[in-house]
Amino acid sequence: MQRTQTITRPKALEDLLGSDLISKIGGLDIASKKIFAGKLKGERRSKKRGQSVEFADHRPYVSGDDIRHIDWNIFGRLDRLFLKLFLEEEDLSLHVVIDASSSSDCGEPSKFLFMQKAAMALGYVGLVNLNRVAATSMGGTTVAAENAGDVEIEPGEVRQVRDLRGRRRTHDLSRFICSLAPAGPISFRDAAERIALTRRGKGVMVVFSDFFFKDGYEAGLRMLVGHGYDVFCVQVLSPQEVEPPITGDLRLKDVEDGDLAEVTISAPLLKRYKANLAAYCEELRAFCSRRDMTLITVKSDTPIDSLLLDYLRKRGVVR
Amino acid sequence: MTWLTPLIAGIAAAIAVPSLVILYFLKLRRRDMEVSTTLLWKKAIQDIQANAPFQKLRRNILLILQIIALAAAIAAVGQPQLSGDTTKGDRHIILIDRSASMNAIDGDPAKKTNPATRLEIAKKQAEELVDTLREPGVFQKESADQAMVIAFDSTAEVRQQFTSDKSLLKAAIRSIAATDGPTRLTEAMRLATAHSKPVVVENRGLVSGPGSVLHLFGDGKMPDTMETQPGANDTFMFHRVGEPESGNVAIANVRAERAFDNPSQLSIFVGLQSTMRAPRAVDVELTIDGAVAGVKAVTMPPATSVLPETSNTDKGAEAGDSKPPTPVFTPSTGGVVFPMERVEGALVSVRLRGLDDDNAGNRALTPTADVLPTDDAAYVVVPPAKRLAVAIVSAKGNLFLSAALDGLPLSRHDVMTPEQFQKVLAEGRGGEYDVFVLDGWVPAPDGDGSLPPGRYVIFNAVPPGAGVMDKGVSGPTQIVDWDRSHPVMRSVNLDPLIIGKNRAVEVVKAQAGGAGADVSAVVLASTTSGASIVEARGADWRAVIVPWDLMESNWPFDVGFIVFTAQAVGYVGGSSGGVIGQSQMVQPGAILSDRLPTGASNVTIESPAGESSRLEAAADGRVVFGPIRAMGFYRVSWTGSSGPTDSQRDGRNERFFAANLLDSRESDAASADKLELASRPVAAQDALETKGTRKLWPWFLLGALAVVMLEWFVYNRKVHV
Repeated sequence: MQRTQTITRPKALEDLLGSDLISKIGGLDIASKKIFAGKLKGERRSKKRGQSVEFADHRPYVSGDDIRHIDWNIFGRLDRLFLKLFLEEEDLSLHVVIDASSSSDCGEPSKFLFMQKAAMALGYVGLVNLNRVAATSMGGTTVAAENAGDVEIEPGEVRQVRDLRGRRRTHDLSRFICSLAPAGPISFRDAAERIALTRRGKGVMVVFSDFFFKDGYEAGLRMLVGHGYDVFCVQVLSPQEVEPPITGDLRLKDVEDGDLAEVTISAPLLKRYKANLAAYCEELRAFCSRRDMTLITVKSDTPIDSLLLDYLRKRGVVR
Repeated sequence: MTWLTPLIAGIAAAIAVPSLVILYFLKLRRRDMEVSTTLLWKKAIQDIQANAPFQKLRRNILLILQIIALAAAIAAVGQPQLSGDTTKGDRHIILIDRSASMNAIDGDPAKKTNPATRLEIAKKQAEELVDTLREPGVFQKESADQAMVIAFDSTAEVRQQFTSDKSLLKAAIRSIAATDGPTRLTEAMRLATAHSKPVVVENRGLVSGPGSVLHLFGDGKMPDTMETQPGANDTFMFHRVGEPESGNVAIANVRAERAFDNPSQLSIFVGLQSTMRAPRAVDVELTIDGAVAGVKAVTMPPATSVLPETSNTDKGAEAGDSKPPTPVFTPSTGGVVFPMERVEGALVSVRLRGLDDDNAGNRALTPTADVLPTDDAAYVVVPPAKRLAVAIVSAKGNLFLSAALDGLPLSRHDVMTPEQFQKVLAEGRGGEYDVFVLDGWVPAPDGDGSLPPGRYVIFNAVPPGAGVMDKGVSGPTQIVDWDRSHPVMRSVNLDPLIIGKNRAVEVVKAQAGGAGADVSAVVLASTTSGASIVEARGADWRAVIVPWDLMESNWPFDVGFIVFTAQAVGYVGGSSGGVIGQSQMVQPGAILSDRLPTGASNVTIESPAGESSRLEAAADGRVVFGPIRAMGFYRVSWTGSSGPTDSQRDGRNERFFAANLLDSRESDAASADKLELASRPVAAQDALETKGTRKLWPWFLLGALAVVMLEWFVYNRKVHV
């Protein structure tokens, strides 16, 4: 809830991904419950064809085609030769999105550090499984700019690193993640629009955020869903947001827009806050499930390995 | 500016101001804290407010509170009062009886821890009445009640003019002290009605206004109520103090007499009256010059009661009244005489004893106590017995006069001619004679146009400048009327008197400021054609004048002539026999006025309480003091020449005066049920029936303050929770 008192930014891969964790998640692979369920064979050898992976087509046979692909069932019924086009298996895209607004820089432990670690672990799983990995930060700035004091940003700005593949690119990914520093408010809708316009291919998108957007999360999530991506939302809350440890007469200041709320903490108020938080999360979950997205709510003190091995595996992000 | 309730204002300020400051501190002391988002908090605040009970009302509660505060403040500005019924009039006149009977303490004094006199009770009731008066409003000064305070006994004085300032009124009421004087309502009512003026209404001429409310606080024992009546528009209220059953034993009269034939025989007559319902034994104690000279026991019979006769109309009027008519009690009378041999003068005081020892001495036949101690004492100044020195001034002698004076116990009895008389005066030996009897001759007027200093009995002459005008000699006549109560005429029967040659005279009133302004004359006997015997007195002379010739009447052969001559000589000569000390007796409430010898200076008067005050004697020796308030002996002392009856002490001449109540009506301590005014009877009100007017505006203002504070509190809760 409160802004993190002592901010420690990860500097290298070791700060994000310990060897213990690597050994635990080494056997995982990225999965998509929708698109790739029941995929059996044809391991990444054919050329890519067509834009859509969801459409299996037939076309008339022309000379020179591989006769193994002729659909004999149709020939038996229509007495004409049609070629059966198999669904081509393509390499899976893993797109990790991190909310780098100021609100992520809150809580003990820091929500942003948790997001960085989770994104790195997930990206590592994707890289080692030869998936195409992309990472995007919504809003925020760089550590260098933060150290230089230059924190002026555009709310809809995004930073990306794309098309990483293979274990060799682990350091590229970690360098990008380590360079991120949260700052300012963001416009989730604008950022989501940019991400949706620039992403390619099909795959799994994992969005790390607290989803506390004053202009609403609905428009942004609508942008991200579909277009070949299976979207997983990971809502990261700090323990202080779940159980506010505050008392007394306070003037609460929003770290993003400086909005003030003067409160006198009382038991009814805390009860009401918690009920509101639960309702907010439930609303978000309902919104996601209506659009075939999956929401996972975790606290920032959850161990990364249990996030991957337990939460994400149960929901089919990894297997 | 008067702060009526500074304490309450201070307390309110002490509570309200810190509370307000604390509320401000509550607002200012919030800690700043950065949070990831205020989204959920704001929603929670809204939810709390939305889920609170009466949230619909709560949304407008500030408005409601402000309306209440405003209404209370406006109501306070209106200055509401809870008022009773009876304070109708705008102008109140408070009449407080301070006479002797108001010193009475009703009821059994043994049962009362803090006995209060009737006057104290009356003052308290009057102050309560003042409390009920409407106060001036901030915006409408004229709506306030006004009141004036008049204290009266036999005289009346305005203690406070009309004002609406209650503190002034109360101070005036508190300053009223009881006197020992009798009660007369007439002057008080005259004073009150003089102040209760009609109101002039414009365009309608003189219209009597709403009138005043007259409040009389007293026991209602006033002999002259029938002579007074309030104005037509005035309301008269009689607030009775005292109890109608209160009994009292009093000295109703005291008199000192010396025997004519032997002036050394002194008798003190004490007249008593009792208004008690049962027989009552009292001791009468006589004190001469401070030493007890005798005690006599008297048993006073109970007062006789008579049921009042009620007329038919009264019966009809009181048909609904189940109370039986209260009997009228007539005081019983009694008396005691103390005879003694005493030549010297004395200060004689008489006291009633044994009135308070009901239980201890078993003397009392009734448990009822004597409520009024004031009239249990009386005082008489007894001048020394003396034999007068008399000279008859006659040109040719008068056998009858000489024979009449021969029979009197005189120390000296000379006969002289007018020439010898002039010589005596010229030699300054006039003081050797107490009385000159002038027969058919009067001395020439002296410097101030009247008789030379001295005491005279004048026959067959009219002195000039004596306030009488000679109307000349006329025919025979008879006396038709005479003042039988005058000491000179007492026991004198003038019916058989036939005057052959009457010389009628007429009493002329002295012109104020003119010559002989201090000359006064009183007719003692009159014929059909005018006055025939006159008493006249000037600045330094005194005379009884019989202007007609004795020889032309049958009076010398009548025994009345002897009695008249003896009494006239004794009267003007300052007495030897008969009732003495009357000229030195005053009643409280009256003015003590006397004439000291010419040239008296350094005059002081000492009251019974021992307070001494200086008097300034006029050129002719006249001194005035008063009105007398308390009973007892008053001692006037001066330096200079002394009169014949004056005594000396410490090189100063002194003369005593006795102040006595001696008013049987005043001593009737039972308070009256009603006042019989000339216009109507006014029933007594035992308790003040007016309900107190209670100012409400401070409470409204306090309420407004409380609501404003509540509003501020609610505002804070609403905005910042």
